[in-house]
Amino acid sequence: MDGTLVSLLHGFAVALQPANLWYAFLGCLVGTLVGVLPGIGPLSGISILLPVTFGLNATQAVIMLAGIYYGSQYGGSTTSILMRIPGEASSVMTCIDGNAMARRGRAGAALCIAAAGSFIAGTFGVVMLTLIAPPLATIALKFGPPEYTALLVLGLIFLAYMSSTSLVRTLLMACLGLTFGMIGIDNMTGHFRYSFGIAELGDGIGIVPVAVGLFGLGEILATPSHKVAGEVIAPKFRELLPNREEWRQSAMPIARGSVLGFIIGIIPGSAHVISSFLSYALEKKVSKNPEEFGKGAVAGVAGPESANNSASTGAFVPMLALGIPTGPITAVLIGALMIHGVPPGPQLVTDHPSVFWGFIASMYVGNLMLLALNLPLVSVFVTVLRIPYAYLYPMIIMFCIIGVYEVSHSIVDVWIMLIMGVLGYLLRKFQFDPAPLVLGLVIAPVFEQSLRQSLIMSNGNYFIFLGRPISLGLVILSAGLLALSAYAFLMKRKDWRTKLAEAEAGES
Amino acid sequence: MILRADHVAGAAFVIFGVTVIALSGDLPTGQLSMPGSGFLPKIVSVLTIMFGAALMLRARESAPFAELGWSDGAHALAVTGITATGILLYTVLGFIATLILMIMALLIIIERRNPFRAAAYAAGVVLATYAAFSFILKTPLPGGIFGP
Repeated sequence: MDGTLVSLLHGFAVALQPANLWYAFLGCLVGTLVGVLPGIGPLSGISILLPVTFGLNATQAVIMLAGIYYGSQYGGSTTSILMRIPGEASSVMTCIDGNAMARRGRAGAALCIAAAGSFIAGTFGVVMLTLIAPPLATIALKFGPPEYTALLVLGLIFLAYMSSTSLVRTLLMACLGLTFGMIGIDNMTGHFRYSFGIAELGDGIGIVPVAVGLFGLGEILATPSHKVAGEVIAPKFRELLPNREEWRQSAMPIARGSVLGFIIGIIPGSAHVISSFLSYALEKKVSKNPEEFGKGAVAGVAGPESANNSASTGAFVPMLALGIPTGPITAVLIGALMIHGVPPGPQLVTDHPSVFWGFIASMYVGNLMLLALNLPLVSVFVTVLRIPYAYLYPMIIMFCIIGVYEVSHSIVDVWIMLIMGVLGYLLRKFQFDPAPLVLGLVIAPVFEQSLRQSLIMSNGNYFIFLGRPISLGLVILSAGLLALSAYAFLMKRKDWRTKLAEAEAGES
Repeated sequence: MILRADHVAGAAFVIFGVTVIALSGDLPTGQLSMPGSGFLPKIVSVLTIMFGAALMLRARESAPFAELGWSDGAHALAVTGITATGILLYTVLGFIATLILMIMALLIIIERRNPFRAAAYAAGVVLATYAAFSFILKTPLPGGIFGP
């Protein structure tokens, strides 16, 4: 514990350096804007701005990119409350009661409760991250190829189980991602795979063109400007503070949302989206007045907003401790660390303590910055929201092109982005969630290498995965999840995942 | 039989899986004790074919293909076409000329905006971005035939 405290103090010494503070502030500001603007999610925001971090050191880069991620969770609530349009996916549930509060003249109070909840939950998440990640990394040092293989399979199955679309659809997306991830030179034999004579494909398909194409361009292709129209409710500055009763009503939902969000965040999947839905359902269940939900219930804003912020921090636990992404956003962040020559994984704590602890400490500071940013600047965000979408999306396409091209100065990557944009558009039409595709793409090289190494180690015996305690436990967990999914499918049960899909469809 | 969305999607995945297997012909599968570079791609392709077939078998739960809304198709096609042209010209004409033309095309052709206003907006946004990347972020953008 003392060691953790000393390391955290070292982290603060790193995070409080003026340059690092500046990049944390920049990340939080850009993240808030990304969250505020409909059509740009944190994933496309981070991907587009990844090349901007090339001139920075690894600590500054990851501080800025993570700031964009958790900043977007704050910003998303503004659009939800003032326009009833989710600024990003995790704010879907906030639309319902947040906008209802705004229509009752309590827009300022809703924004303040969302910001306070986000701050408390974000800080809680960072405290838990500080306590959990280092010991987990120590355990992970005992992992060999069979454990990593089993863990990655569990991650994919968890993602499939948690997804709001069907298991088959999610696994299809993961297979597609794995296939894309195997393009390029095979690390173990040197064979070129599916590169069709294009030299640039020898290095494989990068995560940035795929993520920007699927989530950035794909969204634009599916959104004609005439469909984006919305009235912005502008709150008055003096109405920003909630009254005593509203504070009282928000206290417990914030506490419950913080804990629930963090737990969900550790699990693979679009944690921040799922956590806000589950928090809303929980608050409605425990409320003495469930009939108020949908008509401006304070708990309907406080719970989900806290949960999605806590979840976004929880998602950093497996990323920092194990080097394994729990979703596409952490996958891009892992990519960013690798570009800066910092291999993510259990060795991160010991080999790069300044990056690890500096990053964690910067999140304490970033949460404070976001609280200070979000409320005073609400009138600026209202102005941003009034920019017509017809003028906004050409600018976003421009940033997509810059972002992808600047990663490796390859026009092939920009073509891949366009192809992925069209693919993303088609996947949306056919009700596929592209997130598992990105995850499959990222884990493909690690998965393939650890699977082949495991088989070589065991002379081709698959029982190696059942003969080691950790991998056996992970295999049993995977089998359990598959059985649960099969049970829900066979019984035709309408569980929380179906309800999440309905809620997302209803608000989009 | 009504052709449904999942019939089409499932069939596309089956065809994709078969194509990947066909393209993997020259990649050695190896043995279980020493898997080759074609080992995992073939396994994943077989899984893709299986899941694609499962999707087709359960297609009754999906919407009829004819009922899929394609009202945004024209917008998607136009944006794709203009962006593709922009990508073609990007390294030839450079960032400034290409992006001004591309943003103008998007605003004038798709959004039917006033050409003068569109030109002013495009020039303003592109030049400001170019300056920000060149001087603040120190990340030079392609100059093309007009630039360094």
